Amino acid sequence: MTLLLQGLALGVLTGGLYALLASGLSLYFGVMRVVMVAHPAFLFLGAYLTYTLHTAFGLDPLLTIPFTVPVFFVLGVAVQRLLIARLPSDQIQMMSVLLTFGLALTVEGLLGTIYTGSFKSVTVGYDTKSLHIGGVSLPYDKIIAFGIAALTLIVLFTVLVKSRFGRSLRATVQHREAARLVGIKTERVTGYGFGIGLATAAVGGGVLALITPFFPASHWAWIGKLMAIIVVGGLGSVAGAALAAVLLGVVEGLVLVTYDATWATLMFYVFLFLTLLLRPQGFFGGRLAHRF
Amino acid sequence: MAAGVAAALAYPWLVPNYYLVYAGVLTVMYAVTATSWNILGGFTGYVSLGHSAFFGLGAYGTGLLVTRAGWPWPLALAVSAVLVTLGAAIVGVAAVRVRGASFVIVSIALVSVMNLLVQGWRSLTGGSSGVQVPAPFPELSRGQTHMVFFYLYLALLALALLTWWFIGRSRFGNGLRAIREDEDKAEMLGVPTAAYKVAAFALSALFVTLAGGLYAVWFRSLDPIFLFSIVLGAYMVLMSLLGGGRHLLGPLLGALIIAPAGEYFLIALGESQIHLTATGVLLVLVVLFMPEGIIPKLVRRPAGASIREETAEQRLLEVRG
Repeated sequence: MTLLLQGLALGVLTGGLYALLASGLSLYFGVMRVVMVAHPAFLFLGAYLTYTLHTAFGLDPLLTIPFTVPVFFVLGVAVQRLLIARLPSDQIQMMSVLLTFGLALTVEGLLGTIYTGSFKSVTVGYDTKSLHIGGVSLPYDKIIAFGIAALTLIVLFTVLVKSRFGRSLRATVQHREAARLVGIKTERVTGYGFGIGLATAAVGGGVLALITPFFPASHWAWIGKLMAIIVVGGLGSVAGAALAAVLLGVVEGLVLVTYDATWATLMFYVFLFLTLLLRPQGFFGGRLAHRF
Repeated sequence: MAAGVAAALAYPWLVPNYYLVYAGVLTVMYAVTATSWNILGGFTGYVSLGHSAFFGLGAYGTGLLVTRAGWPWPLALAVSAVLVTLGAAIVGVAAVRVRGASFVIVSIALVSVMNLLVQGWRSLTGGSSGVQVPAPFPELSRGQTHMVFFYLYLALLALALLTWWFIGRSRFGNGLRAIREDEDKAEMLGVPTAAYKVAAFALSALFVTLAGGLYAVWFRSLDPIFLFSIVLGAYMVLMSLLGGGRHLLGPLLGALIIAPAGEYFLIALGESQIHLTATGVLLVLVVLFMPEGIIPKLVRRPAGASIREETAEQRLLEVRG
């Protein structure tokens, strides 16, 4: 029982980070029907930037996030405006996967060249201790990671739901032509959507650097997991992705503590294939998926 | 054409050392995988990033049947090719149900699942330490073995090219092209789209599997991380797109450019990771500026949409002036 609770707790904590990253992927897909395979590569770029800021200036990994977020936002806008906007619209789904795959390779190669292929990690005083509640031990770094991810998600949701920009972004997702008709500058909004999406990778990178060691090729393991999450949640649905992320995080945590690591990761693909067989538009939203 | 065939046949005898024969085997192997990928990708437009799964399964199937069951390698190769192709057909039934981005996601998932299973099932596959396959021709030297496999791969390439060519001229090929242009309309016009897609998926897996099986016997050391990597699958896509996915010889041309370039990078820069960046940048450039590939640029046919935007009547008016 304690074991299950432990798995459940760790699953929820990891699920927070998954949710943050998957929401970024949902934004890309929402505004442009683009599956951004390079998202995890940028996540690790963020982690390495945090590592550099930490080792060079002694900054706390969490304090590096305010520096990396604006950089990534600009980078995201640039990727959309300079690269993805040039793709022909009738082939955008397949071609954008290839394009962003090329970006992922580019980033991985640069990281491998600059930082070498060996593990890097960021250690601070508080990241090895744990909080114990009734036999369940929760590492502080994971709690902090969950807190930051949750906070970022709340801010993101608030912006999307309450602000004028959020309304125009949602309108662009729902119906681009109609949004343009009511005077929304959809091109600009799409660019900002990408910027925000990539900014989630910057936040995620800072958090990731705190909780786990990393090396340049680690992003491959994340691609499959995040893809599974956004399909289960329903492509393009930010809330759906967040829910699916926590669900799959919990399933992973439970299988990890009761069985083994291979099957914990395989659960993501089991859910992916089940979703495609039973409900291809996703379980938590995904009004967009059937438009393929 | 004839000169190309003659040059390919004479290549191992013309080069000064066995290293270049080895590089030649590698290039022809990549050409086989890219041509085979193109049976699906070129005709139907379904971009699979997961064909390395079939390469890896072919290699592991052959390697394990040789080492564990003690079968002669040609039999092991044939049996694993049949089994993996059947498996691919079953996977294909599920995979081609989804289009666009979802299909690419499924293909990526396929490789990741295989990678996890092969590394996880230690008792059968040796886990991450891989499989060591005994020498196929113990009486031949390493260099002579390279020469044998050069011709084996060349024969396989000829087979794959012939298959592509036959499909291209058949009703089956026309159906696949119709799926690429507009799947819903093709279905409405009576093309059995689901069956055609599954057949193309399985055929395209077949030659990749055979290439992988030969790789197991030739290279003899199987590394799951290399065999089941998305990068290997991406090479097939890159070669096809670079050469020209709608043309018989496009993937071959792509392989002739990419594979030697990759080997050169390996020699010039050692084990540095910068070759990944070079591959990535090239992929971005090809997708952005040359998605139709090199061959259409050479033959100078007007590129663009294959469906005309003006009606026959309008074109007739233009002709009349």
